[in-house]
Amino acid sequence: MIRLMGAVLVAAGGAFLGFQAAAGLRRRVRAVRQMGAGLALLEQELELNAPPLSRLLERGAARSEGPAKALFQCCVQGLDHLEREEFSSLWRRLAGEHPELTVEGQAILSPLGDTLGRYEAPRQLEALSAARRRLEELAARLEADSRRQGRVYQALGLSGGAFLVILLL
Amino acid sequence: MIQVTGAKSYVQAVQALPLRLREEALSLSEGERARAEELRLRAGWPMTVLIDGVERPLDGDPVEPGELEQLIEIASRASIHTVLDQIRRGYLTVEGGHRVGLSGTAVLQGGEIHALRAISSANVRIARQVRGAAAPVLDRLCSKGVLTDTLILAPPGLGKTTLLRDLIRSVSEGEGCSPLRVALADERGEVAALYNGRPQLEVGRRTDVAEGCPKAQGLMLLLRAMNPQVLAADEITAPQDVQALMTAAGCGVTLLATAHGEGRVSLERRPLYRPLLEEGLFRFLVLIRREGEGRVYTVEELR
Repeated sequence: MIRLMGAVLVAAGGAFLGFQAAAGLRRRVRAVRQMGAGLALLEQELELNAPPLSRLLERGAARSEGPAKALFQCCVQGLDHLEREEFSSLWRRLAGEHPELTVEGQAILSPLGDTLGRYEAPRQLEALSAARRRLEELAARLEADSRRQGRVYQALGLSGGAFLVILLL
Repeated sequence: MIQVTGAKSYVQAVQALPLRLREEALSLSEGERARAEELRLRAGWPMTVLIDGVERPLDGDPVEPGELEQLIEIASRASIHTVLDQIRRGYLTVEGGHRVGLSGTAVLQGGEIHALRAISSANVRIARQVRGAAAPVLDRLCSKGVLTDTLILAPPGLGKTTLLRDLIRSVSEGEGCSPLRVALADERGEVAALYNGRPQLEVGRRTDVAEGCPKAQGLMLLLRAMNPQVLAADEITAPQDVQALMTAAGCGVTLLATAHGEGRVSLERRPLYRPLLEEGLFRFLVLIRREGEGRVYTVEELR
């Protein structure tokens, strides 16, 4: 009986690891999509009345989710301490604190810190729109990967668990 | 008179500086902070402070060009796109009504200044408000307790804007006269110093401000939109401004304005101002002259 329970637990653990890995892939897709949606909100606000950066990010944060909300909120707080850290460096640092966006996603976001608030609204819109499009492309690619690799991870987890059970029995 | 400035105002003004320069500026004693008028930053030279009209260097390393760029970022809260118009005019207003003046290499577009690049100098002017400045003339200007059309005339630096601001505040608050709705065309933001939509200098609770647009257009906008009882403008310098005032006078609004000049004779001699006198737009002329450390006001009746 104990052997059977142990075998079930080992099999379930293997399956869990596989499903976890697959869920991680899906989380990346969701995070990149949320970031893209956040940038789209900034575009809308900027187009509407080109507000100061603090207000733009506040409004963006209020209507965003996930990493976009966190990034915008932290940037707003950082704007009170510009004497310690310039906005471009602040944005780059904070964007780097979201590994779920992937290295490629972070690389797309980072240059925005050099443009936001610094140039006239049309140029900021251009940069936001380009970054959003690239994030959407990245999300589509990550989603395809997630579908393909996700199934592989799940199968690997299940078969790995089964293999261990056979080995142990 | 209460001078609403001093050490507190100084500390607020230096918040626009990058950290190193801020610490240097805060090394001044309390008394020096209270008397400081300006901080001046020139690339390659130590920062200086202007106290009682004398500029003296602070003990510190020379100002780096990057620090001047950072000054703009801090002063605009990283929103340079919202202050580009101000930068093109060579200054920007920060919280508290303090002004950051800028100088550098101009980028021209169609013969007009489009932007400033390679900022070489900047100054931070500490905002001063003299509450009660209008008290000595208020009785005379408010016949039967209501403000009458008034023109303030003086050479630069004698406190025309200070007097205008306090007159607006007094009328708007009903201090020493009946309270009235005042609309202020503050083209350069020197009277009310709007920051995030709020006047940083006191202009009273019944005052509406139009900032940043040409005076004549601002006056007309306020007249149409805000239904003012008093229309105020600083520094009448163009025929369009005179025309706008004349239109407003026809609408039964009380006028309050300032102009550069030595006295009534200089006003009569200048073609720009002649229509104002001929049409009898203003009832009172307030002249300002320096006497020792203070200012003396003379009120003349024009009609």
